Amino acid sequence: MKKILEVTGLTGGYSPDRPVLHDVSFNVHANEIVGLIGLNGAGKSTTIKHVLGLMEPSRGTAKINGKTFQEEPEEYRGQLSYIPETPILYEELTLWEHLEMTAMAYGLEEQTFLTRVRPLLAEFNMENKIKWFPGHFSKGMRQKVMILCAFLVEPELYIVDEPFVGLDPLGIHSFLELMQAFKNNGAGILMSTHILATAERYCDRFIILHEGKIAMEGTLQELKNQLGDPSATLDDIYIHASRGKRP
Amino acid sequence: MMDFTKIWRERKDQYFSLALRYFKLIGNSGFMLSLYILFVTGSFYYAQILKQLPANFPAIWLLVAVFAYLLTKSPVRTLLRKGDLVFLLPVESRMKEYFRHSIRYSIVVQSFIIVLIFVALGPLFSKYISGKGMEMIITIVLLLAAKLWNIKTSWEEQRLPYQRNRRNYTLLRLAVNAVFLYLLFQKAYVFLIAVLAIMYVLSNFVFGYIKKVHGYKWEHLLEVENGMMMKLYRVANLFTDVPQLSQRVRPRAWLSTLSNVSYNHSHTFDGLYRKTFFRSNDYFEIYIRLILIGAVFLFWIPQGWWHPIIVLLFLHATGIQLLPLYKHHKGNVWFELYPVKQQWRFRAFQKWLRLLMLIQAFLYAAFLLAMGGAWTIGGVSVVLAVIFVWLFTEYYTKKQLLRVR
Repeated sequence: MKKILEVTGLTGGYSPDRPVLHDVSFNVHANEIVGLIGLNGAGKSTTIKHVLGLMEPSRGTAKINGKTFQEEPEEYRGQLSYIPETPILYEELTLWEHLEMTAMAYGLEEQTFLTRVRPLLAEFNMENKIKWFPGHFSKGMRQKVMILCAFLVEPELYIVDEPFVGLDPLGIHSFLELMQAFKNNGAGILMSTHILATAERYCDRFIILHEGKIAMEGTLQELKNQLGDPSATLDDIYIHASRGKRP
Repeated sequence: MMDFTKIWRERKDQYFSLALRYFKLIGNSGFMLSLYILFVTGSFYYAQILKQLPANFPAIWLLVAVFAYLLTKSPVRTLLRKGDLVFLLPVESRMKEYFRHSIRYSIVVQSFIIVLIFVALGPLFSKYISGKGMEMIITIVLLLAAKLWNIKTSWEEQRLPYQRNRRNYTLLRLAVNAVFLYLLFQKAYVFLIAVLAIMYVLSNFVFGYIKKVHGYKWEHLLEVENGMMMKLYRVANLFTDVPQLSQRVRPRAWLSTLSNVSYNHSHTFDGLYRKTFFRSNDYFEIYIRLILIGAVFLFWIPQGWWHPIIVLLFLHATGIQLLPLYKHHKGNVWFELYPVKQQWRFRAFQKWLRLLMLIQAFLYAAFLLAMGGAWTIGGVSVVLAVIFVWLFTEYYTKKQLLRVR
């Protein structure tokens, strides 16, 4: 299987003396969704910031298709798209202008942009809102704008941070469907979430972070085996791992 | 037990010290001097105009209009904050004490304004209505009574759930105020007693009923308070940078076509800067205002070599005022994440600023020629302006904006 994202020995945080992450290593392959789970403060967002190249590791590397951000910044960024936990929008741009700007920024051909954008807008029920400004959007709609921008680019790697909060059930459904479709087309997805029931159904593998270290890792079956309980749910495994007891 | 009097006092003190800080800044900016000059010349012309007014001047209607506006507009300054929606909502039933303070505060401030305006219009009043001291005092007392009534009723009005309801009641108050003021300035005191009785009935039964049926509309109250706060910020923002000034976005659809750029990877930021310029904050207004003020100067100052200097001065002002546009989206994570060359962003801004400044320069040149100016001066202005714009955008802007990197 092709490794898209390769994180090795990542140590880093907001100050060099007190790293948040300690020697974290994991991969995201093509055709897979990896769930990144952990308590508040476990280091999920810090991990994501390192993968995005917004923070520099003090040790270790994060590579996309074999290259780090420092080596090839534009190429690195061009291969991923990011759905942030809190939507970040330009208050001065309409929905359509957000999509157009994203397409331009990622160097999409205009024709590609136009063919991709309509079905996406329809899927998320936003076709009649393309002239709206973010000031009139609810939290869920803002989140949809982020999702639309990310899916528009069709990159190899998706970094998704808690996508479900505020999204209506139909939106969640569309989001999951599309995510699976892109996965089947060869994309890799790293998704951080607290909604374990959904993660259990859609993620192929899990990384459970605890206090900046990987506490457990593997497919659901592997995690169950590690725990020695074939009937355990992801909830049970998570609670077990987060109490700091290694199986 | 929550002490609402204490909360109110703290907020009032905080508000005062904030307002005072901004007023100090405004005072230091030389604005007070121009205000003083304006006041002195203004009162001179006021006296002149008063002398020349004909005997049949409808002063009474002017007075009715001014005071009807002042009376009907009686907002209550609540000093509420966003967090109150969560933290004070549970103690709503005991908020009466807090709001009593805010009503009292509003009465004091607005009564002061009424007296001030009455004194300012005093000469008009004594010339056309009555020169008797007793009648002046009666008028002031009744004006203040009406103010009191308006603040109390407008406060109950805010409980109504819909904007349309509230507007209807405001119109009702406006009508009552107009009749009241007309009778007051006609010195028809007997009829006035009837109006006062109507006002009493209205406040006790109509507005009293609203009070019984409707609760406080917290979000609306917050919005009103926020609007009043923004007014202060907006004024202060003319003199200094006010970070709390919320970014208001105006669509200005008619300008959208001007801000569209052709679809291209390297144009990622061009459209953003143009749209931000047209739609956000005051960039566009500042630009237009500077162009107009510059034109006024060109118009007033006699033809000559001062003209190119004025053109350069106003181009410089525009350039300086528009520099913050570059950092308008500061902290937005997408700027970091887009797979684009970092210099594209600066180049997009530079290109747009250059275009705006050149447009301004050519407008001035056209204006000078239209006024019948000499070709030489117009030509020199254009050449100097183009050189200046080039130097400004190529060197100064780069030095100022890329310093941080």
